[in-house]
Amino acid sequence: METTTASPPAGYVPSGVGSSSDSLAGTRRWAVVLGLLAVATVLAGLYMVFFYAPTEATMGIVQRIFYVHVPSAWTAFMAFGVVALCSAGYLWLRDPRLDAIAVSAAELGVVFTTIVLLTGPLWGKIAWGAWWVWEPRLTLTLLLWFIYVGYFMVRGATENPERGKRFAAIVGVVGAVDMPLIHMSVQWWRSQHPQAVILRPEGAQADPAIVQTVLVWVLGFTLLFFSLLLFRYAMERLSQRAHALRVAH
Amino acid sequence: MSAVAAGPREPSLDVHASPADAAEAWDDAEAAGGAPFLAQVWAVARKDLLLEARSRERLLSMGTFAVLVAIVFSFAVDPAVRARSIAGAMIWVTVLFAGTLGLGRSFALEREAEALTGVLLAPVDRGALFLGKWLANMAIVLAVEALVFPVFALFFNLAFQGSLPALAAVVVLATVGFMALGTLFGAIAAHTRLGETLLPILLLPLLAPVVIFACAATQRLLVGRPVSDVVSQLKMLGAFDLVFLFVCTAVFGAVLEE
Repeated sequence: METTTASPPAGYVPSGVGSSSDSLAGTRRWAVVLGLLAVATVLAGLYMVFFYAPTEATMGIVQRIFYVHVPSAWTAFMAFGVVALCSAGYLWLRDPRLDAIAVSAAELGVVFTTIVLLTGPLWGKIAWGAWWVWEPRLTLTLLLWFIYVGYFMVRGATENPERGKRFAAIVGVVGAVDMPLIHMSVQWWRSQHPQAVILRPEGAQADPAIVQTVLVWVLGFTLLFFSLLLFRYAMERLSQRAHALRVAH
Repeated sequence: MSAVAAGPREPSLDVHASPADAAEAWDDAEAAGGAPFLAQVWAVARKDLLLEARSRERLLSMGTFAVLVAIVFSFAVDPAVRARSIAGAMIWVTVLFAGTLGLGRSFALEREAEALTGVLLAPVDRGALFLGKWLANMAIVLAVEALVFPVFALFFNLAFQGSLPALAAVVVLATVGFMALGTLFGAIAAHTRLGETLLPILLLPLLAPVVIFACAATQRLLVGRPVSDVVSQLKMLGAFDLVFLFVCTAVFGAVLEE
């Protein structure tokens, strides 16, 4: 990769600065629409959790935490995918919009990963008898959380913010390449040990009502993710513009 | 120029690592500009290794630290526990900590007094620069590992005989991946305010695959399992190495831009 100066060429204004054509109004409109759809879906999901889905036979009432847990995990990993794609794009094209999407998705990723890591033990304590078990999926999620932490630490730790963005993008790309390897490793690692007495979550998916409820929640959380992503993206773009104006004057 | 950037040091040491030595190393490096890729890699690695050979600051600090960690393990581990059953874990924790300590210094010399600017002005490909730094780090950490294993064998009465070639393969393959990620994130950490504090935070989660397979393979060899039992781990480590080396070389250019 040839060195290009990180500061944009003279005359180039980070897209949108000072021009009224690149308005963020459309972004915000979509954010509101998706947000309303997400709220409606989650409300429907809540109804299904309490009045539609039956109580799971072996795990009992505690199984219902899965309706928050599983969609959060799905959203957390999807967020990481968005971070990775936009980070790779940012390293290649240096478009500030890609960086804005990446950092927005990373923040949401931390939130949803945290939800996974908080709801999991609540269920595990009752179903497994332990708050934490070194099960492959738990291990992977925990490491994912730490990679996100590194992403934000490195982003905020440079004198030159442009450099911080590049460093964070590198963490995003290398982290994404590493995730499948970590996944493979922790699976292999655990298969070396006698399996703990685990009530496999797959067992809970027998009842179609339960599957349908989970799917509604996955949809709701996905909509919620994209709604928040757009809100946060619009905010990041404004922050970029404010920064560019500060630098210009 | 890098030796000048090494900052205040005792004069007795400075006699060896004089600026002239570094300049000599750099003349070689510059002569390699436009030279084949591998010659560039070697020029960068030679510069780092020459500096290390003259100052020995990383080898000494990492080696001393590693032996001290081994001693701390002796105090910390219950005598009733058979050391052999956990030695693989102890050894790799020691190597990871000592290696991370040394990686923090890998780019410190270049960063002080903006010596990196000089390095970047040399007609060396960014990928060659990365692989050169990686090669030098490999050599230094392998030297530390060559100390760590005998020290642990001595302190904890371990027997490696019979499995030495397989063990060497595990160590080399694990170090390739460790140093690929380590060199990349060492360079990143050196350019942040947090510096060396940030390095383990970035590095340890990403190193999970290497740690898992290196520990498992070492442990198996330690308890006398046949070499055929670790072939699959060696293959996995080799695959990780290729992925990490490729990705880290590809993104390294983005670290160095101003």
